[in-house]
Amino acid sequence: MPPLDKAQPQNRPFKQRKSFATRRQEVAGIRSKFPNKIPVIIERYEREKYLPPLDKTKFLVPHELTVTQFVTIIRNRMALLPTQAFYLLIDNSGLASMSLTMAQVYKEHQDADGFLYMTYASQEMFGHCRRSF
Amino acid sequence: MNSVSPSAAHYIGGVMQDELVESQRQQPLERQGSFGLMLRQTADPNREANGEPEEMYKLKAKLMSAWNNVKYGWTVKSKTSFNKISPVHILGHSYLLNSEDEVERFRLAFISRIWLTYRREFPQLEGSTWTTDCGWGCMLRSGQMMLSLSHCLIDLYSVDWAWPDAPQLTDVDLEVFRPRSPARAGAIPIPSFGSPRGPNTAQKSLSNDQAPRGSPKKKPESVRDREAELKHHQLVVWFGDQPSAPFGIHQLVEIGKSSGKKAGDWYAVAKTSEDHSLAVYVAQDCTVYKEDVVRLCDLSLSQTPYGPSSQAWKSVIILVPVRLGGESLNPSYIECVKNILKLDCCIGIIGGKPKHSLYFIGFQDEQLLYLDPHYCQPVMDMTQYNFSLESFHCSAPKKMPFSRMDPSCTIGFYAKNKKDFESLCSAVGALSSSKEKYPVFTFVEGCSQDYGLEGHSSSNSGPAGHILPPGRLARRNSDEFVFL
Repeated sequence: MPPLDKAQPQNRPFKQRKSFATRRQEVAGIRSKFPNKIPVIIERYEREKYLPPLDKTKFLVPHELTVTQFVTIIRNRMALLPTQAFYLLIDNSGLASMSLTMAQVYKEHQDADGFLYMTYASQEMFGHCRRSF
Repeated sequence: MNSVSPSAAHYIGGVMQDELVESQRQQPLERQGSFGLMLRQTADPNREANGEPEEMYKLKAKLMSAWNNVKYGWTVKSKTSFNKISPVHILGHSYLLNSEDEVERFRLAFISRIWLTYRREFPQLEGSTWTTDCGWGCMLRSGQMMLSLSHCLIDLYSVDWAWPDAPQLTDVDLEVFRPRSPARAGAIPIPSFGSPRGPNTAQKSLSNDQAPRGSPKKKPESVRDREAELKHHQLVVWFGDQPSAPFGIHQLVEIGKSSGKKAGDWYAVAKTSEDHSLAVYVAQDCTVYKEDVVRLCDLSLSQTPYGPSSQAWKSVIILVPVRLGGESLNPSYIECVKNILKLDCCIGIIGGKPKHSLYFIGFQDEQLLYLDPHYCQPVMDMTQYNFSLESFHCSAPKKMPFSRMDPSCTIGFYAKNKKDFESLCSAVGALSSSKEKYPVFTFVEGCSQDYGLEGHSSSNSGPAGHILPPGRLARRNSDEFVFL
C-alpha cells in the first residue's frame, strides 16, 4: 500500500475501510451490550465544502430520539450557526423525515450489516462565487 | 430542449439571432443598429465606414453580451415543445394546450410573471467595481423573481392578473398548432436558428387571439387597467438595479455582505421584506413550525400600532431550503416536487442545474418549466415614467428534465392571510401524509423552542472537541462509538 493511503485513513468511507464481516461483527457486539441503542454511521458528503468534518463516525443513539433532536445534537457538535444549512441524508439519497424517531428510521433504512448510514451535507450554491466585496 | 449544438457555425448563428430577436424586442429604438450588425456580413460597407465609432461601440457591446450569454448560460435558442396531451402546470394552475383558448391562457400566465436577469452597466456596487452581476447574480435573481411574484400577488390582486401587453410566445413548438402529421408527434424539436421563420410560425397562429383583446373595453375596466399598469411599473421599479430599489441587487448584496455568504441569500430576501408588510419565514432543517409563522404574521400578538383587529395579519412567504438527494436528485422525489408545484400556495422553487440557478414555476410531464436569469441585458433606465416593461418578461418558455435538477433547492410558499395560511397547512399536510418514503419537509405544530433539546443538548454540547481542527483528519480513538 502506498504511504499516502495510510496518511488519510478517514477519507475513505467507513464501508470501504472495513469488510462486511467486520462491520457485522461490530454491530452484533454492540447490540448485545446495548440492546436499546442504534448503531449509526455519520459521514460527511464527499463533495461537501462548507461543513466541517466530524472526528467520530460511529454513534449509538437511543431509540426514542427524534431525527430533529439528532440533527440538533450533530449541529451542536459542529458548533453550526442556526443560519447554516445542514441536511442529513439517509443512504446518501433521501432526507430523513424530521418527525420520525431514530428507531423508525432504523427499521426502514438499516443496512445489511446492521448499521444505519447517514451523510451530512449543506446546500449547494449556484453561480460562481467570485464575489470580491 | 436546451441542448447545445455541436457545430460552431450553428452556434454562432444561434447567438446572433438571439441577439437580434432580443434587441428587437427590448429596444425598438435600437432596432436599426442591430439590424446594421446583421447586414454587416452581407452588404453595405459604406454605411459601416460612416458610422464607425458608434457602430464599433455597438458591435463591441453586442459581442460582449453574446459572449456573456454563451459564458453563463449557453442559451442557444431552440424551440421548446409542448404536447397537447398532458397539462402544463404553472403555479397551481393547469393548462391543457389542446385549443387556442388554453394556449392563450398559458401565454398570459407565463409571460405575466416577472423575469429578472443579469444586467450590465448598473450603478457600481458599493465597495467594489462591479457594474454587472453577470456570472454571479443568478441565485439572487431567482430569489428576486420569487419575491416579485409574491408582491405581484399582493399588489396586483391575484395570480390571475395578466399583463395586457404581453407579447406573443416565442421559440415554442405547440403540438396543437402543428400541421397534422402523427409521425412527427414525438420528434425532437428543431432548433429555431435552423429556420429563419421559426419563431413566427407559433406567433402567426396565435395572433388571432390578439383580436378580442383590442375589443372595446368598458370604462371602469380601463381605469382599473391603468391602475394595474401603474402597480406593474412600481413593482418592477422595486426590483430595479438601483441602490434605492428596496429589493434591487444593490440592496441584496449589501445585506448579504453583513450576514455571511452561505445562507445569506435567503436571509437577505427575508430582510429586505421586513418593512414591507410581508413576512418571510425561512425553515430550518426542513421543518416549518406553525406557531413561529403565526407569531411572525399575527400583528395582534405583537405590540404594534395596528391594534388587535382580524386584519392585522401579514402576508407571508415561507421558504423551505431542502436537499433532495446527495449527488443528484433522488428520483423518488420527483412525484413530490410535482405535487408541490401543483399547489395553489406554491410560488415556485428556486433551484437549478448544477452551478446554474433557475426559477422553476411549473412542469409538463417529466420536464420542469423555468425562468432563467442567465441572460445579460443592459440596465433599464427607470427614471422615465413609461419605461418599457418588455425586458422584464420572458416570452420564451423553457423546459428541462427533472433528472437534471440539482438536489439543492428552496421551495417557496405564500399565504396572503390567515385563512390562506390555514389552507396552506392543510394542503401541505395532505401531501406529506401520503406514504412518502422520505417526506421533503414537515409542518409541525408549536414553535421551535418547544422542540428544544434541554435534556440532550446540554449534556452533549459541552466539549466542542468533536470538530476536527483543519488539517488533522485522523485521530486515534475515532473508531470508538459515541454515546448519545
